[in-house]
Amino acid sequence: MARKTVFQIIGIALGLGVLMACSLISPEASFAATHPQELGAGRPICSECHSNDVAKGAQKPFAAFDHTPTFVKDHRFQANQDSNTCAACHAQSFCTDCHGGKVPMKPATRFSDRPDLQSPHRGDFMTQHRIEGKMDPSSCYACHGRANNDKCAACHR
Amino acid sequence: MKPRTQVVLLATLMSATAWGQEVSLYGTTMAQMWKQETPGFDKATFTPATQYLGIDATKLGMDNLSLHLFGWGRTDLRDASNFDGSKSGGYLNYGYLQYRFDQANAEIKAGRFTTNQATGFEQVDGVSVRTDLRGGFTLSAFGGKPVYYKTVDPRNQSDYEYQRDFIFGTRLGWRVAQTAEVGVSYLQDGSKAAKDLDIPSPTDYTRKMLGADVHFGAGSLLDFRGRTVFNVANERTNLAEHDYTATVKLGSQVTMTGNYAERDFVNYFAGTNLPSLFRQDENDLFRGFGGSITWNAPTGVQLVADYRHMHRETFGDVNRAGGEFRWSTSERTFLGGIGAHWVNAANTKFVDPATPYRSLSHKEARIWGMVNRGKLSASLDGILQRYENDNPYLVGIRNLYEVVGSLGYQATSNVKVSGDVSYGSTAVAKHETRGLLRAEYRFGFAKKGGR
Repeated sequence: MARKTVFQIIGIALGLGVLMACSLISPEASFAATHPQELGAGRPICSECHSNDVAKGAQKPFAAFDHTPTFVKDHRFQANQDSNTCAACHAQSFCTDCHGGKVPMKPATRFSDRPDLQSPHRGDFMTQHRIEGKMDPSSCYACHGRANNDKCAACHR
Repeated sequence: MKPRTQVVLLATLMSATAWGQEVSLYGTTMAQMWKQETPGFDKATFTPATQYLGIDATKLGMDNLSLHLFGWGRTDLRDASNFDGSKSGGYLNYGYLQYRFDQANAEIKAGRFTTNQATGFEQVDGVSVRTDLRGGFTLSAFGGKPVYYKTVDPRNQSDYEYQRDFIFGTRLGWRVAQTAEVGVSYLQDGSKAAKDLDIPSPTDYTRKMLGADVHFGAGSLLDFRGRTVFNVANERTNLAEHDYTATVKLGSQVTMTGNYAERDFVNYFAGTNLPSLFRQDENDLFRGFGGSITWNAPTGVQLVADYRHMHRETFGDVNRAGGEFRWSTSERTFLGGIGAHWVNAANTKFVDPATPYRSLSHKEARIWGMVNRGKLSASLDGILQRYENDNPYLVGIRNLYEVVGSLGYQATSNVKVSGDVSYGSTAVAKHETRGLLRAEYRFGFAKKGGR
């Protein structure tokens, strides 16, 4: 009962938020649609140039978007909350290279001429996935957990 | 979405690109060939041809309206490479109209898109909106029909397709400039519970997730972010996930990260339509923690050392540790790397009672190099995975490996052709040789994108 009340309160708050949104919309100009300068090759460290700036809209230091090895492997929160900051440099197809949903081949094969990329599932991952799946199946779930992927269902019936 | 509806939608969207003042078209055409020799099966030769195609058209009649499409098609010229025996396939990964407002980072998307603004990572046929509000608040929401990877015959429609008829997600966030952000999000996938179907189903595929996320940053020195997600589909609210990462920068060259994650399978896997793979009935819990330290030397050298401890209540503990060395010249004419990782599963239980640790323990090594000289490029990439003796997953094989060599020619700034040859040994195919030809092209005005 108490939980139902909590959800009702959250629902009402969200509803009121939407209704009041027109008057509450931020007057700030939007973040640049494209980066004004072409970037060099390789992974950019945003804070090298934007040392004291705040990414408009994201309200975060540009260092939060530095393309460190950790960022390259795990950037879901930045992509989740600040996708328009990403969009200044990346087209949507850049995300699809790895997060395409249904794809005809794994990224490591599609970009086999680019060994410098952090493509997931290198080598014989068809074998390796049994081992990885035993160690941590929750790491597979975000991408493979809910779509009716017939490749998975061929064995996992 | 039915195939006929997809074709009509695609044709309509593609014709809309004619209105675009700036249109970019990019694609990759690939022809592959590989021979497989699998013990107990006939030798097979596969020759799939694959076409990727994307279009970005901006300023569609007005400056802020744009169209984005991306998809692929594939056909097998010899033996069928699809698991179901079919020789062709295709998919629209995304296709949406987007309007970006000049104010408040507001935008509207309509069509097929991928979204991760709430607790999930979803592909949706529907509508998405987001905007910044006064006082540092942000609001985003999406709704529509969840995308299925395979359109099945309605006569064979599964329970989850009756239940997953509608998906909705929203997130309300609050930001303090330069310092912090907190957010609360909700995701609901499916409007009908199993018991409410015309023919009640024994399995409930609907999801209701409530999430809270936090970010804290102290300049460029510290970055802390993470989230906690609850499964609220049942009578009791249950914890599904904790996942938090801290990053500390020591000077301009050294970065340290630490992560803690915990996932309760019953609640984290709620709503899966692969219950035999993501098993809720195991009533399991995962806990993992780890970290990495990276040194970026100004000479183009990068050194990374990482460690992760993984614990499953039903299986036990696994430790993974390793490192990687990367080097590139300032003009990226040469890039190279070498890395190794060890997985020690000495404390696992029940995986294989006869040899309790051997099933998961293994080592992996990789070495690669790339050379770019003028219009020519070449690369070599080798990976070796070495397992313990008698690993039951590997049909007696101990070493799996793959070596890929590639040569490329950048004909113009927008056209590149390349060819790869690979050789390897896997648990499925003792000897596998692959060839691949690739043509990449990009036409248009847009400057962003790429990789």
